[in-house]
Amino acid sequence: MRLKGATILIEELLRQGVDTVFGYPGGAVLDIYDELYKYSDRIDHVITAHEQGACHAADGYARASGKTGVVIATSGPGATNLVTGIANANLDSVPLVAITGNVSVNALGRDSFQEVDIVGITQPIVKHNFMVRHVQELEQTIKEAFLIANSGRKGPVLIDIPKNVQTDTCEYGIAVVPRMPDKPKLPYVKDKVLEAIRNSTKPFIYCGGGVIAASAEQEVLELSHRLDAPVGLSMMGRTALPDSYDYNLGMCGMHGEYAASKAQSECDLMLAIGVRFSDRATGDLNEYTKKCTVIHIDIDKAEFGKNVDPDFCLQGDVKAILQDLLKDLKGVRHPEWREEITEFKKTKTPDRPGEFCPKNIIEAVRRHMQDSTVVATDVGQHQMWTVQYYDFEQPRTLLTSGGLGTMGYGLGAAIGGCIGSGRKRTVLFTSEGSFGMNLNELCTVVSQDLPITIVVLDNNVLGMVRQWQGIFYEGRYSQTTLNRKTDFAALANAFGAKGYSVATLEELEKVLTETDTGDKGAYLIDCHINQDEKVLPMIPPGKSIKNIILKG
Amino acid sequence: MEERFIIDLWVNNRFGVLNRITGLYSKRGYNIETIHAGPTDVPGVTKIEIVSTGDDYMRTQVISQLEKLYDIRKVDLRTEMTGD
Repeated sequence: MRLKGATILIEELLRQGVDTVFGYPGGAVLDIYDELYKYSDRIDHVITAHEQGACHAADGYARASGKTGVVIATSGPGATNLVTGIANANLDSVPLVAITGNVSVNALGRDSFQEVDIVGITQPIVKHNFMVRHVQELEQTIKEAFLIANSGRKGPVLIDIPKNVQTDTCEYGIAVVPRMPDKPKLPYVKDKVLEAIRNSTKPFIYCGGGVIAASAEQEVLELSHRLDAPVGLSMMGRTALPDSYDYNLGMCGMHGEYAASKAQSECDLMLAIGVRFSDRATGDLNEYTKKCTVIHIDIDKAEFGKNVDPDFCLQGDVKAILQDLLKDLKGVRHPEWREEITEFKKTKTPDRPGEFCPKNIIEAVRRHMQDSTVVATDVGQHQMWTVQYYDFEQPRTLLTSGGLGTMGYGLGAAIGGCIGSGRKRTVLFTSEGSFGMNLNELCTVVSQDLPITIVVLDNNVLGMVRQWQGIFYEGRYSQTTLNRKTDFAALANAFGAKGYSVATLEELEKVLTETDTGDKGAYLIDCHINQDEKVLPMIPPGKSIKNIILKG
Repeated sequence: MEERFIIDLWVNNRFGVLNRITGLYSKRGYNIETIHAGPTDVPGVTKIEIVSTGDDYMRTQVISQLEKLYDIRKVDLRTEMTGD
């Protein structure tokens, strides 16, 4: 079958199981959009306000659905607008295929209109990228791109397709099914690992995003039961275990739960599963693993010893490895360790009943949502509060920018997450700083008729930076007091959503009841909170649990 | 301990492959002292030799990061040389 490049692209997307793409048209992708028009009954294209929003949406779609997200942008500025979104997906290992148009091959390298070397620009922030110079390579390239994005440690792949490659024709349906090249692996030796586990009296499981990527949640839960081991989570590992499980201690690290970080520092064995030991999670590396043996289980060989030197490494798919280990592990009890954990759990940030504070706001919102509700966040204080206080019960219900910390990620991610979860009610927790970065996507929420509830934790300041200025810069609040006069409720109304502004728990409850309209309706609730609200506990950067700050 | 070492790479001869390799070094602030590339008997496969200096950690990181690159077929740590 002889087809033109743009048709080959769409046909191949369909073969890859793609039914939804996010993007923005432009001169260098006109032929692709012409095909999308013809295929509109089979592929849903979501037009956003800005390519960055489209890229975050594809990322959020991938995180919520487990499928590979697809974003399309034109050459030049369209392509460069994807950069933050691609870097974000790369640091959080999200499977994403970004497709950009470019000027025709004979115009490349001549500084043509809207020409950039997007392959060069994105090279350090992708898992791999391709420039397709001949239409004959296109089919094979797309197959490889999807394979790379979604195999091993997942990540973003970019395909740059010059205009003439979109219009040239060639035979389609002749490419071979690619397979990932064999790479050297560590030998799989489990005897010593099993021995270390059996010798432990204070085991601790630390699990990260790799557990969710591998769908190994049940195996981790079983391991925790079997070893009588508490579980701490990295931020990317949040939602791997239900919060209702009593041995899920919550997040470890800089803004983690005291009990989780304390148990991690007191354990004699740390089973680290699908984690990469980010500096935000470890703090002082010398203190971090002082008392324990570390078993690191991950699919990516390059992670072993990158930040933390493990005593034992097991490389491979974490689900398969855990299933294998479980075959050889009998149930044990560690009552003394359990008592210690119970003791650790008593140290908490105090409750503040009746106050209009982040914890009470987030818990009030949670009461109006389902266990399956997808929750997106932006970046900053509100992100940490959401991760700390929102009660997550199901995997893939939290979309948050972990590695890159991208302010402005949330609204795009909420759009993608909403679509990826079957257009069910989705929540975005954001703040006026983060929301201000990409609030243009409100138009997409409305035009797509998406049931998204946006909760703005509005404290009139750039709270997280301000918090650091307060603690580490003697209260010199440089450029973090915003004093903007934006009326977010009116803004939401102007976009065609419905906006509310609240300042008490009673008002909030009333609005939450009014907006509890199932999977219909886009709402924004602007919650005016105190500018001195802090994220606690906090382990200062580069420090350990010994230096934890519990009170503001 | 800092030591000079040579890494031999067999790579798919595609656009930008050298960029990807040198990018891994520069991202981590590792210096390349000598780089040499040439054809092999296998069509489409190029051999690249890179000489650089670093400690155990740097060497292990460079090798494992290089191994992850899609267009790299094989990474070999060759003789370690001490002094000149």
